[in-house]
Amino acid sequence: MSHTVLVCDDAIFMRTMISDILAQAGFEIVGEAETGSQAVEKYRQLKPDLVTMDIVMPDMGGIDAVREIVKNDPDAKILMCSAMGQQALVVEAIQAGAKDFVVKPFQPSRVLEAVQRVLG
Amino acid sequence: MDLSQYAELFLAESREHLSACNHLLLEWERRPAAPEPVGGIFRAVHTVKGMAATMGYARVADLAHRMENLLDHLRRGGQPPADETLQLLFRATDALEKSVDLAVAGRERDADVADVVADLDRAMARLAPAAAPRALAAEPELMPLPPSSPLGGTGRLISVVLRPEAPLKGGRAMLIVRKARSLGEVQAIAPPPAAFETEDFDGRVAFQLETARTAAEIEAAIRSVGDVERVTVVGEAAGEGGEGGDEEHVTPVESAGGRSRHIRVDLRRLDSLMDLIGELVTAKGWLNELAAERRDPAIDDVAIQVSRLSADLQAEIIQARMTPVWQVFDRFPRLVRDVARQLDKQVAFKVEGKEIELDRAILDELGDPLVHLLRNAVDHGIEAPAERRKRGKKPEGEIVLAAVRERSSVAISITDDGRGIDRAQVLAKARREGLVDAHTDALTDDQLLRVLARPGFSTAATVTSVSGRGVGIDVAMTKIRALGGSIEIRTEPGKGTSFVLRLPVTLAIVRALIAAVGPERYALPLTYVAETAEFGAIAMTTMEGREAMVLRDRVIPLVHLRTLLNVGGDAPPARRPVIVLEMGERRTGVVVDGMLGQQEIVVKGFEAPQGTLPVFSGATIMGDGVPALILDAAGLL
Repeated sequence: MSHTVLVCDDAIFMRTMISDILAQAGFEIVGEAETGSQAVEKYRQLKPDLVTMDIVMPDMGGIDAVREIVKNDPDAKILMCSAMGQQALVVEAIQAGAKDFVVKPFQPSRVLEAVQRVLG
Repeated sequence: MDLSQYAELFLAESREHLSACNHLLLEWERRPAAPEPVGGIFRAVHTVKGMAATMGYARVADLAHRMENLLDHLRRGGQPPADETLQLLFRATDALEKSVDLAVAGRERDADVADVVADLDRAMARLAPAAAPRALAAEPELMPLPPSSPLGGTGRLISVVLRPEAPLKGGRAMLIVRKARSLGEVQAIAPPPAAFETEDFDGRVAFQLETARTAAEIEAAIRSVGDVERVTVVGEAAGEGGEGGDEEHVTPVESAGGRSRHIRVDLRRLDSLMDLIGELVTAKGWLNELAAERRDPAIDDVAIQVSRLSADLQAEIIQARMTPVWQVFDRFPRLVRDVARQLDKQVAFKVEGKEIELDRAILDELGDPLVHLLRNAVDHGIEAPAERRKRGKKPEGEIVLAAVRERSSVAISITDDGRGIDRAQVLAKARREGLVDAHTDALTDDQLLRVLARPGFSTAATVTSVSGRGVGIDVAMTKIRALGGSIEIRTEPGKGTSFVLRLPVTLAIVRALIAAVGPERYALPLTYVAETAEFGAIAMTTMEGREAMVLRDRVIPLVHLRTLLNVGGDAPPARRPVIVLEMGERRTGVVVDGMLGQQEIVVKGFEAPQGTLPVFSGATIMGDGVPALILDAAGLL
């Protein structure tokens, strides 16, 4: 049975790319979110096995979204999508409960490695 | 866990950070408005704090912590520091350095940091009255471990190095710490997690982990986090025997695509390795002699193979002992600055050729002579700013310390653009003290140096606390000569002075000419052998009343080793070799009875009995096991 994924990013381009990488590896993309608050809402509805979370998003940022999600589901498996130069934010996200992170520009192999680690 | 085994590592790394601190403080002093230095100083002090806390050096960690508070405030404030604050930071860095040394020597109690700690706190209170001692609660890992903490218990020290190419290493380090926490109790994280958030976190993290898991389990767990280059687990696990963890002390290094890796090795290991190689070289010499006697091709083959292998081995071990000069030069910018400040002089100090390498044993001895010469340069060489202006010079003097690799030696020069040495004054004083003939009316550079290097000779009107010219040169000269090196001086009135130190690249094994005098053999290092000639076949003359020979229009004074060393035995052959030694501009011919060829010799220091002529630099054991003395070229010249 394939794992289900919720992809959160404010850029369509990024969501598409991540979805493609994961879909090709056999994951099932069950939803997408453009803002942090959407991410929190969709997580509640969809209960995905994995969430990919952009850090900088309008409305509610990725880190706050992680806090919200983890508050309701401490076992939530969230993979942060960050960019170079976001060291402090990534550390903060991990402290908030994110399980791992990948850095843009994405290399499919690294994304999949990180996903494997998160799903354990 | 026995932490003492990490003391040396702690010392070495702390010194690196404190050296960086000094450099950055100097830079900050030059450009107070620049924002970069304070960040770097903060991180360096911070790292020392974390390491000291891990080692259980509470006083060191506490001092570092207070410095860090002040630095953090300055860093956030973004204001150029007051001069007073900078001087306090210099002082605190010195105190930290001293207490690190004391702590490692087991005498942390002797570290007198009370004054500087009080001054740091006062400065902090003045700068930020509201920001009472910054709450440590947010970073409990930073606190020095209380004495009762189970350092001697079951904790293991884990160090992790992330792959150099890993992005956002701080995030990865955070994940590693979290992973470790899932295995047991984590303490004393260095650097503390706050450092993970900075962009220049270098991907190295260490912490103590109290867990019953095996080293292999710990390593596997940490590697599972990803981007891990290396994990080192040291110390005993709970319930494990004392010996069990021992082999883990070896830094496990995964080979990663042939990149060069470094481990730290106790210098004494290298020394004893060198001694062993020395004995091997001696044995090899013996084997070669035997092979030559027996004329057995099978023995010959083995002898040749042993020769080749031992030569390779020797080259490798000498290479392993090579150390870049910056390891000693690194502290000089601070020294020059301090001396200049003390004397109200302005000095721009430049270092060139930092990466040039010398044998560690030589480099270690070089610090003191260089300190003397640099102090002299600031004190006597560089003029006061007003005087320089009067002479049409820039008010800021310049001192250049440069290392250059020459054929078989390294030349280190200290050049200042100061007033130069007053030859007339030195000559007058030398005459008064009877150091030169009364009718000498000019001193050559060589003579000048010899006069200056007389113990206690000083022309300084007043001997300052910094230096009295002469004393330093005397000390420097003795040291450099003992290392088989030489000093030259060049000085020009009004333009400056330059000292050039020439040193052999390595002390341990040198090629030498073996000369026979009567029944004795003597070794002359080839470094200083210019050529050989034949006594009895060349034109003779005298030079300043001394016997000399004429070699290609050059008059070279002679020394008869037989007479000099008072060697008995049969009368020497009428025609016999002269070995011409050369050092800088000076040449001397050494007349010996015969030459026995060239050979590699292993230099052993030797304690010359009182009254021995100062012409020996050491001793060596010949292939047949009989010792021979090594002649010191500088002494013969």
